[in-house]
Amino acid sequence: MIYLDNAATEKPDKKYINAAEKYLLEEYFNPSALYKSGYKLHLELKEARRNILTRIANENNFSLVFTSGGTEADNQAIFCGGRRGNVVTTYGEHSAVFSAVNELKQRGLEVRFANLNSDGSMDIENLLSLVDEKTSLVSVIHVNNETGAVNDIFSIAEKVKEKNKYTLFHSDGVQAFGKISFRLTDNIDLYSINAHKIGGVKGCGALLKKKNLQIKPYVYGGGQEQGLRSGTENVFAIKCFEGAAVDRYLRLDESFKKVTVLNNTMRRLLDGGLFTVLSSENASPYILCVAVKGVRGETVLHEADDNGLIIGTGSACSSNLKKRYSRVILACGVDDVTADGVLRLSFSPNNTFDEVETAADILNKIVSNRKRIMA
Amino acid sequence: MEKVIIIRYSELHLKGKNRGWFERVFAVNMEKSLKGIKHEIHRHSGRYLIENFDESDIQLICDKLKKVFGIHSYSVALKVSTDMEEMFNAAEKVSFKEGSFKVETHRADKSFPLNSMQISAEIGGKLLDANEKLKVDVHNPQFIINIDLRENGTALVFNEFFKGAGGMPVGTSGKGLLLISGGIDSPVAGYMIAKRGMVLDGIHFHSYPYTNMQAKEKVIELAKTLSAYTCGMNLHIVSVTHIQEEIHKKCNGDFMVTLLRRFMMRLAEKVVEKCGAQCLITGESLAQVASQTVEGMTSSNSVIKCLPVLRPLCGFDKDEIIERSRLIGTYEISIQPYEDCCTVFLPKHPVTRPKMAEVLAEEAKLDVDNLLNEALSTLEIIKI
Repeated sequence: MIYLDNAATEKPDKKYINAAEKYLLEEYFNPSALYKSGYKLHLELKEARRNILTRIANENNFSLVFTSGGTEADNQAIFCGGRRGNVVTTYGEHSAVFSAVNELKQRGLEVRFANLNSDGSMDIENLLSLVDEKTSLVSVIHVNNETGAVNDIFSIAEKVKEKNKYTLFHSDGVQAFGKISFRLTDNIDLYSINAHKIGGVKGCGALLKKKNLQIKPYVYGGGQEQGLRSGTENVFAIKCFEGAAVDRYLRLDESFKKVTVLNNTMRRLLDGGLFTVLSSENASPYILCVAVKGVRGETVLHEADDNGLIIGTGSACSSNLKKRYSRVILACGVDDVTADGVLRLSFSPNNTFDEVETAADILNKIVSNRKRIMA
Repeated sequence: MEKVIIIRYSELHLKGKNRGWFERVFAVNMEKSLKGIKHEIHRHSGRYLIENFDESDIQLICDKLKKVFGIHSYSVALKVSTDMEEMFNAAEKVSFKEGSFKVETHRADKSFPLNSMQISAEIGGKLLDANEKLKVDVHNPQFIINIDLRENGTALVFNEFFKGAGGMPVGTSGKGLLLISGGIDSPVAGYMIAKRGMVLDGIHFHSYPYTNMQAKEKVIELAKTLSAYTCGMNLHIVSVTHIQEEIHKKCNGDFMVTLLRRFMMRLAEKVVEKCGAQCLITGESLAQVASQTVEGMTSSNSVIKCLPVLRPLCGFDKDEIIERSRLIGTYEISIQPYEDCCTVFLPKHPVTRPKMAEVLAEEAKLDVDNLLNEALSTLEIIKI
């Protein structure tokens, strides 16, 4: 089986799971408990927090709140950051942000959406024109999860702050963390990351928060995570997350180079007469978005699956035409027919060149055969 | 004072010499639906009693009984001896704490010294004496206390009739094969025919890889919901992918649905032979969509040699069908947005009133027998 849907989730690394298994079976204590065994886990969490945080930020300026995943981190940022005036975001956001801001809209806040460029990156001028003195929050995805387009959130955040220094800036970094090189600057207030996209286990993520930034909690209860995210911490998942993050950043450049070659190989091997590449040259190499005209993406997905190749698709199956196409792909200005045939190939450093070659071969065969039938 | 459930059946009493057979099938169906729950079912003249169950299971038993066809109504009753004091105690238990009431007595045991009117009057009088917040209103009472004196020296006391599913016991009207899609209509069609006593099998057509596993899963869920009424069913699943591809390749695209329906009917007829059904059931409703015109039905029906095709929804409006699907619990499943095979290769302008000559000319471009055999080789049977 060849797995090229790593942007959906990556295969968890046994190494991290084995190392953290003791937190499930032996050191099962509540990290908030006052006895020594509990306190020890509190210290373990503190270490994990520091080890994850310092991969991308300065611990003097940022703190980290563990959450149940990227979606919760995004929801916390949106609902706790966007409390008044208007909220500005883009048409290229993941549903975790997109649906959350739409809920804010229902609750009476004004939400403004910035347009996308054809590669899925955001139109900076358009976004800045939407920010004004009443903007309480701007949220821009760091690496687009469908096209891989990388937004320069640092320069955008700086410009946003020039326009309104009180505006909070959030970014969903789920497809960036552990994959591309960056450090959070002081202009970023909130940043969401996730464990299972880098080889950790599902159900674990984090929200990085500028120190001294006062936001209200999103989940109330026993006051864990500096009072911002109550609920007993999942020590096992967090320790796996820590292991994965430390490991990923040790090999960040090496992995990036390898995945870049995998991505370029795939671009080269896919038959140009059958596939249109939608991802730009500057996109994250971890994601390659292509489209097949005239064949539904999902059909290709199923046939690839039957041939031992797992890939993603840009369009969810729905008889409701409005819902069928990815809203992000449509916002890139792609026509309906192309949007119907979108495929997302996403890589991990563990993929091999042989796998990419075989995958390209399978896809070329399937699509040319399908095109013949559908003609 | 034991709690029992009284089951009254619908049309069975109209049956003549074969009434015993109807009653036996009915009892077996009730047993099937209560499988795994502690209970005993006893037949008394004109009704059944469910006894010896745990009181905590009453709601569960009633929920199951609501789905058994043949039940006209049921009541949860207290079973006591025909001693006046005991009957009064039971009446007091089922009585509301306040409001207007009347007592209605039925006396199967004609040897009992008091007649029905006298029993009602005496128990009613005692209830009035015992609770001053009660008053009698024989014309518009807020509740009725029913006392049913049976021949065997027992009395059943209850205050409410619950409506059953009605219809005839499943298994008394033969067996049919339901063409089930993922939509709203076909499960309702199946329900309506099962209600008249027919055992159902289902047949579903899919177009993987053009449709997905979730679409199939949805049909299995629909069949499961329906099978609560039909005492189980077998679901036959057939791929029509290649048939659709061949029609797409060789025929006028506007005839896609018309031709595909003829294939589906032929495949269903073949499966009927295998599963021992005696008719086909479809969810077609006259004029609902392009293919459900009388001309469309003529075209699809003409491939069937000698089976009746039942279309119980023909006279229904869409909102009537939706209302029924909500009642039987299939609506929420049906509206999940997964495509079934019909929407793949959907023409922009489907033929709405196909002429037989044209249909036959288009179909002549295909190797029908081969396509049917090939499709049948994909047959998968799921026991629901």
